[in-house]
Amino acid sequence: MSKPLQVKVFRFNPESDVAPRFDDFEVPVFDNMAVLDVVIYIQNYLDRSLSFRFSCRIGMCGSCAMYVNGRARLACRTQVSSLKTRDITIMPLPNFPIIRDLVVDMEPFFDKWKKIKPYYIPKREIDAPVTVQPESNEREFIDDMLDCISCGCCYSACSMVATNKDYLGPAALNRAYTLIADKRDAIRVERLKAVDRSYGVWRCHTQFNCAEVCPKNIVPTRSIQRLKRRCVLKKFGIFK
Amino acid sequence: MHAWTWVLQRISAVILIIALGLHIGFLHFSNTGEPLNYGEVVARLKTPVLIVFDILLLTFGLYHALYGLYSVFLDFDSGKKERVIVLGLFVVVGLGIVGFGIFGLLYTARSL
Ligand code: SF4
Ligand code: FES
Repeated sequence: MSKPLQVKVFRFNPESDVAPRFDDFEVPVFDNMAVLDVVIYIQNYLDRSLSFRFSCRIGMCGSCAMYVNGRARLACRTQVSSLKTRDITIMPLPNFPIIRDLVVDMEPFFDKWKKIKPYYIPKREIDAPVTVQPESNEREFIDDMLDCISCGCCYSACSMVATNKDYLGPAALNRAYTLIADKRDAIRVERLKAVDRSYGVWRCHTQFNCAEVCPKNIVPTRSIQRLKRRCVLKKFGIFK
Repeated sequence: MHAWTWVLQRISAVILIIALGLHIGFLHFSNTGEPLNYGEVVARLKTPVLIVFDILLLTFGLYHALYGLYSVFLDFDSGKKERVIVLGLFVVVGLGIVGFGIFGLLYTARSL
C-alpha cells in the first residue's frame, strides 16, 4: 500500500477561536481518490468537527470549491494523484469571509450576481423561440460561457476582487455577458449600463487569473473584454 | 467616461508602438558617422517629421502611463473625493508636462 497523505487543514471557528490554525492529519490513499474524499475521511475517522461544504460530488453544484495546494479547485473534481505530491494543504477560498473551517460565506459573491439581474427577461414582441441562430459564432460563444456553476473559484483568484470590495468580479460579469449578447433579452442596454461602471468591467486588467482556475474552462476575461467593446459601441450609439 | 478613456488607451498603445519604432529606427539608421557632430544634432532637432513624432510620443506616452497609474489607483477602494483629487492631479501634471515638452521642442527648433 502506498504511503499515506500528509494533510494540513485550515481550521477556524470565528465563534470560539481567537486565531486560525492548521491541523495535521495522516490520510490513507485509495485509487481515484479526490480531495473531497480526503476531507470526508478526516471528518468520518479523524475529526468529526471539521466543516466543509459539498453536494453533488460530480462537479455540478459548485459548492465544494476549496484552496488546495495554492490554487482554487473543486474538491470533488481534483484527483489526489493530479497534485503530484503526498503533502496537501487545504484552505478555504480566498476573498470570502470565513463561516467556519473550509466553509466560506458566498453572500458577497451572490450579492454582486444579483446586481446584474442574472435571469433572462424575454422581449415581449418576440414570439419565435430563437432569434440568435444556433449555428452562429455568437451563439456558440454564449454556450461556452453558460457552463458556469457559480463555484466562486474565479472570484477567489481575482486580484481586483482582492483589492476592491465593490468590483463585480469575473463570474457575475461573465453571466452578464451571456445575457447581453443574447439579442432576445429585453433589458440588454440596462444590463450594459449596470456593468459599464468603474467597478464593473473597467476594473478588469485582463490578468486571466479567473480563466486559470475555472473548473469549467470558462474564460471570464474574454466575456469581460467583449463587454468593454459593447460599452464603447454604446458610447458611439451603435449598440442597440 | 471609462469607455472613452479605455479606447484612447488602446489607440495610444498603437500610436506608441509605431512612433517609438520610427523614433528608435530613425535615431539608429540616420547616423552618418561616429561620433555625432553638433550640426547633425541641430538638423535632427529641426526636422519637422521628427518634431511631430516626438510630440506624439510625449503626448500618448504620458497619457498611456498616467491612465495606467490611475487605473491602478482605482483598483483600491477609494472614496469619490480621493478619486476626483487624484484624477485632477494627473490631468494637471499630464497637461503641464505635455505643454512644457511641446514648448521645449518648438522653442529649440526655432532658436537653434
Ligand atoms: S466562471 Fe468558472 S470559476 Fe467562476 S464561478 Fe463560474 S464555474 Fe466557477
Ligand atoms: S460537490 Fe458539487 S461541484 Fe463538487
